[in-house]
Amino acid sequence: MDKKLLSACIAAALCATHAGAALSQAKPETLVKQRQAVMTLQGKYFYGTLKPMAQGKIPYDAAAAARSAGYLDALSKMPWDTFGENTKDVKSSNALPAVWTEPAKFKQAQDRLHTAVAELVAATKGGNEATVKAAIGNLDKACGNCHDTFTKP
Amino acid sequence: MPARARQALGLVLLAAGLANAYAQGDAKRGEYLAQAGGCVGCHTEDRRGAVPFAGGRALATPFGTFYGPNITSHPEAGIGRWTEADFIRAMREGVRPEGANYFPAFPYPSFTKISDADLRDLWAYLRTLPPNGRASRPHDLRFPFGFRLAVAGWKWLFFTPGPFVPAPHASAEVNRGAYLVQALGHCGECHTPRNALGAPRRDRFLAGGKGPEGKRVANLTPTRLKKWSDDELKEFLTTGQKPDDKMAGEAMGEVISNTTSKLTPQDLAAIIAYLRTLPPLPEEPE
Repeated sequence: MDKKLLSACIAAALCATHAGAALSQAKPETLVKQRQAVMTLQGKYFYGTLKPMAQGKIPYDAAAAARSAGYLDALSKMPWDTFGENTKDVKSSNALPAVWTEPAKFKQAQDRLHTAVAELVAATKGGNEATVKAAIGNLDKACGNCHDTFTKP
Repeated sequence: MPARARQALGLVLLAAGLANAYAQGDAKRGEYLAQAGGCVGCHTEDRRGAVPFAGGRALATPFGTFYGPNITSHPEAGIGRWTEADFIRAMREGVRPEGANYFPAFPYPSFTKISDADLRDLWAYLRTLPPNGRASRPHDLRFPFGFRLAVAGWKWLFFTPGPFVPAPHASAEVNRGAYLVQALGHCGECHTPRNALGAPRRDRFLAGGKGPEGKRVANLTPTRLKKWSDDELKEFLTTGQKPDDKMAGEAMGEVISNTTSKLTPQDLAAIIAYLRTLPPLPEEPE
């Protein structure tokens, strides 16, 4: 084979694998930042809108509750692909070793969260204020469930 | 005033004074105290629609699982047959009306510090709870921890009954905070590490570590709390939201819902003021 062509092929092959690697292998610090970003936004909609409504601190607004529930529905599905083993020792992370030593429990906690969020979304579609507030309380507990076991207090 | 009228007035005042000594506690005050004490948390099933105070919540400890009993006014299922003296003795000394010891999962080592007046108000409130027939579930304890007789030994080693005594050099606010934390709030029951026999380690008061159900609990001494402002602490104790986008764990979340979010602003400030006066203790090892 022509040397130039060969080196061009090798270069192209290297580029392809490198690009593929970059797509599937973000740095651990970046993954931690991504999941913390999800937490920030979840906090924004939960503590900014839903919980104050449940506590009666701001007036109940069915549309705003439904919107926040929708955002939480998307957000709560996002962070789970950032918990690879390579993120275990990142200093800025608050995740406890239990995430990796108790994967079944971790999965259970995620499922509980998804169930609680789905219940809230359904409640906001139904429009009954008391049901929505009860669902917010239940979601509060489901979020807290992870924070009890899998993050630093 | 004629002599007879004076005598009559004197008798009336004496009677009023005596009546006051035996007066019923104030149920409205008692309701607030019950919130400050978080009674509903352990004495209610952990499911939606559960009847408050009808018992049921499971507390899973290294000694086995305890189930909070029914404390409504039902004569059989609850404490409807109790007298005020029975209640005061239960809280102050950790014994049943018939005399058997309570397991210290019922946090009488903290509740013993509640004042007589507050205990009477609490009793008045409990009397107002509608009777509910839900049967209390017996505890499910590991051998040999199920023997109530053994609790006598535990109490002899680790328990001193008696109401809270204010610290003479501390402000009224700090003493109020101390009372709320040590007596009613019984914070140390979760936040103080325990020894192998399940007794709280007094030299590590509120140092955190592992709570009774094995989950991490925070160090509440200035080691940790110096990083929080008063506003951040108030926000946390009212909503559960922490700085850095963290939130309360489920167990503390319940305490926030049942207790701290219902305290008056003055009581909340008192708790924070008291916590800041504690000696800073190192974090418990993981």
